[in-house]
Amino acid sequence: MFDCTTYMPTKDTGKSVLSEQVLKQVNRQIANQLNTGVMVLDSAFNIVNWNRFLQVHTDKVSEDIIGQSIFHAFPELPERWLVRKFSAVMQLNTPSFCSWQQRHHLFELPHTRPITTDSEFMAQNCTFLPIETDCKSKLICILIEDVTDVCHYQEQLQKTLDELAQISRIDGLTQIYNRRHWQESLKQEFAKAQRHDKALSLIMLDLDYFKLLNDNYGHQCGDMVLIEVSALISALLRVEDLFGRYGGEEFAIILPETNLAGALELAERICRKVAAVSLSYNDEAIKVTISLGVAQCSGEESSYEDLITHADSALYQAKAQGRNQACTATT
Amino acid sequence: MSEFQLTEDQQDCLQELINIAMGQASDQLARYLDTFVYLKVPSIESVDAKDLLQILSQQQNTMAVVSQGFFGYEGIRGEALLAYQDEDSGRISDLLGYEPGELSEDEQLIDISSILTTTFLNVFARQIGNQMSYNAPKLLPSVQNSMSEHLQQISFSWDLALKVNINYQVTDYSFNCNMILLIPETAIINIKHVLDRILAEF
Repeated sequence: MFDCTTYMPTKDTGKSVLSEQVLKQVNRQIANQLNTGVMVLDSAFNIVNWNRFLQVHTDKVSEDIIGQSIFHAFPELPERWLVRKFSAVMQLNTPSFCSWQQRHHLFELPHTRPITTDSEFMAQNCTFLPIETDCKSKLICILIEDVTDVCHYQEQLQKTLDELAQISRIDGLTQIYNRRHWQESLKQEFAKAQRHDKALSLIMLDLDYFKLLNDNYGHQCGDMVLIEVSALISALLRVEDLFGRYGGEEFAIILPETNLAGALELAERICRKVAAVSLSYNDEAIKVTISLGVAQCSGEESSYEDLITHADSALYQAKAQGRNQACTATT
Repeated sequence: MSEFQLTEDQQDCLQELINIAMGQASDQLARYLDTFVYLKVPSIESVDAKDLLQILSQQQNTMAVVSQGFFGYEGIRGEALLAYQDEDSGRISDLLGYEPGELSEDEQLIDISSILTTTFLNVFARQIGNQMSYNAPKLLPSVQNSMSEHLQQISFSWDLALKVNINYQVTDYSFNCNMILLIPETAIINIKHVLDRILAEF
């Protein structure tokens, strides 16, 4: 708001200057047209003044509000916290702030977009300013800005970013991790296992005769099998296991803090479960089997890629020995 | 010497003004926080925006950075960055006199930052016959490398900055933080005018 110092009309310079009286009127009208709430408190936190914005948005009558304690007039305010905040403003003579990002709102005020946003109350940025006057005790001015729009768009943006991050990690068909994210995870788990000297195992698996399945029943059937088998395997894993689609009909599972015996046991369980399940496509029962290769980090690998190579050669061995089985890497 | 560099007299004058402001600010803070606040003698240097980027990104394990813009008369303006390390901020809500759970960790950092920045700059402004206004403090997003990323975004508008480094310590609450005031080129020229005026009066 304007500084209300007296400007005496000077006839000689011909400059247009306003009298104090007129300036007061101007300031009052501006204060009442502001799209910001303005409230003034005395040092005992009683409301001594407020503007039209607050009057309209609180739907309260000035006569009932002026002279009241702010905590009485607005019981929704967090009193203890706010008193501490006010005392900083008065004692240090510094402004203080409260952003919607930390507290969505202080005052429970309605806003102008109740239909198009999902928040009940107006999101607010509040500023608390120390005001010094000729009278002895200090006053506190509270400015309340409506940031419902900002808040709404920021939340939309965050939601979109989260979705994008999710999409960039997930394989569109099977809804498990995609190759890129899975490989990034393996890199991290490999480094973690090496640093903390923890066990780490890997299972690579492949659907048997998948090409034949596609040729006989069509690619839609192949897709169905990929989806169903992924879901079946996902259900057998622990939360910390990382299951991804390595490519085509090849999948891979990272097993943190798991030794070779544990990984082999899991691989064999997965192998049996997949072989036992009966899938149907166009009312036709379809049986699928998988081959699995299991490897454990020996500590001698120079990179995570070596671990993939070991599991891959075990998978090759399982295929060579007749499929529908799990093999461990012979190193 | 570039027009943005301070002369030796100007540098001494600014150092003295900051020392006095720090003394008064720490006194006010101690009263408000009801504990001793230690401030180390600040360092003032002119830095190339590019070097600044390097200096600040070298500060490892910075957990959070809070930024607050300030602006006063005579074109004095800049940005205060408060950098916190992980181990320095466990008891801020205690220090501020809040109940546990009354405010989030982010809010604690923002709150204490605003108090430190505005208390110091208010006193400093008074020393040079000025008055400061402030933007709302903001926690910079993304903890890792946030400092250098942030600077990358702002630094293209100026090549040289006056960097004032102030360290706050509250040993009773094992609190420690670094305040860095960044003052861009055009504002440096304005500060030089103010310093010259003070030196002439002296």
